[in-house]
Amino acid sequence: MFKYQFRWDTVWGSFDFLMSGLQMTLIVSAATLVLAMIGGLIIALLDMSRFRALRWIGVSIGEVVRNTPILVQLLWVYYVLPIVFGIRIEALVALIIGLALYQAAFISEVYRSGIQSVPKGHVEAAQVLGLSPLQSFRRIVLPQAIKMTLPPLASNFVQLIKFSSLGAVISVSEITRRGMELSATNFRPLETFTFIAVVYFLICWPLAMGIRFWERRLQNR
Amino acid sequence: MSGHEADHPMSATPIILADGVTKRFGTNQVLTRVTLPVMERDVVCIVGPSGSGKTTLLRCFALLELPSEGRILMEGTPISTAEPDRAIKTAARAVRSEIGMVFQHFNLWPHMSVLENLIEAPLRVKKMPRDQAIAMAEKLLAKVDLADKRDAYPARLSGGQQQRVAIARALAMSPKVLLFDEATSALDPELRREVLIVMRQLALEGMTMLVVTHEMGFARHVGTRTVFMDRGEIVEEAPGAAFFDAPKTERAKRFLQQFEEE
Ligand SMILES: Nc1ncnc2c1ncn2[C@@H]1O[C@H](COP(=O)(O)OP(=O)(O)OP(=O)(O)O)[C@@H](O)[C@H]1O
Ligand SMILES: [Mg+2]
Repeated sequence: MFKYQFRWDTVWGSFDFLMSGLQMTLIVSAATLVLAMIGGLIIALLDMSRFRALRWIGVSIGEVVRNTPILVQLLWVYYVLPIVFGIRIEALVALIIGLALYQAAFISEVYRSGIQSVPKGHVEAAQVLGLSPLQSFRRIVLPQAIKMTLPPLASNFVQLIKFSSLGAVISVSEITRRGMELSATNFRPLETFTFIAVVYFLICWPLAMGIRFWERRLQNR
Repeated sequence: MSGHEADHPMSATPIILADGVTKRFGTNQVLTRVTLPVMERDVVCIVGPSGSGKTTLLRCFALLELPSEGRILMEGTPISTAEPDRAIKTAARAVRSEIGMVFQHFNLWPHMSVLENLIEAPLRVKKMPRDQAIAMAEKLLAKVDLADKRDAYPARLSGGQQQRVAIARALAMSPKVLLFDEATSALDPELRREVLIVMRQLALEGMTMLVVTHEMGFARHVGTRTVFMDRGEIVEEAPGAAFFDAPKTERAKRFLQQFEEE
């Protein structure tokens, strides 16, 4: 009953077109990760601030971002921010800002658990030896915390590769958008989107496996 | 009675002194008006049942906990109270690294080599030149018989070796007093000896020590004074072996019986 004449040549014929979309996907993901790491640090600092108002801001950002759909956030950044600030935002910029904001809320938790993973005794040893709180944070806590945050940050990168496909909705020409454009002209959605799914999988799966291995090695130390 | 009391007549100032220290966690009173002086070259051993407040007392001396009432003094200067004022905070900062502590679980920094563990505080706190710090660290490692582990990472060492590194790390700041919190409890029996030997060597060299321990042999033979704590109070205090030969209180007798049965 499933008689279908596969026409993979329609995909190969547009290979370069799709790959330039992949390039955009990777650029968006990398840029967003960098931005989200900075944003995550800011949220984490707000969360741990001595001032209640700042803590409240940090916590609120985290709660709002974690409890609304990412697609809605993206549309909000793209359509609402320009109205509020009276500026035009490029779709690409909106995508990066929207994704970065979303991911920053999660990365702030990564930082926090990285810091909390350092045993209290290590800090007390430093304190007894006379190191100042700042010295002990810089020399004892941070180096150990960073090691613990690297695998989760890499996982965030994998997530961003997938989330960046949402850019298609606001017509950022990453690979999913390119696929939509292609299938609109070659009328071959099956081949086109299968190919795109395979591309995502071939990038994300090895990364995810590598990260899992990396995490296990960190835990067994 | 023994020689060591003649070494420091009553008028001498203790190196460290807990002066009427009470400690509460919430409503749970863990220490009750503990007064304990530690004189120069003293090796005071604190023994007592689990939960009697030994660790808490040591942590008050190490300035890791604030007493709820009472004070900690170092050579006569208050360095810790319930609500330390500016003068006390300044005094504490000045003498903090002169009170060394050895923890039950070593607490070496795993991302640093043995040598780096030893030189970190001298470099950052004392601003000692690097080559001088390294030379001193090497001497200390030789002293704890670990000269060959200089560049190893803590994870590669046995528990006994890690604890000896931790002792060397504490010594690197040339403390006036060393606090030990059950330094051998986390170790397999066959590894305890190597740590106890180092501790005894330190005692023989005249290091002032305050030692929480379950090693009754160490308390009897190396300690100059034994302090028995129960339910947050010092119940009994006696010079060296006297506590073991002639405990005065019922509670101490019962406590010591457990060790005879072993
Ligand atoms: N940070 C803390 N918060 C609340 N309660 C605490 C804290 N630290 C210790 N305690 C309580 O204080 C009491 C005394 O504890 P402590 O660790 O000083 O006893 P210990 O004599 O060292 O016992 P052990 O021989 O088991 O090490 C215990 O009841 C413990 O639960
Ligand atoms: Mg204890």
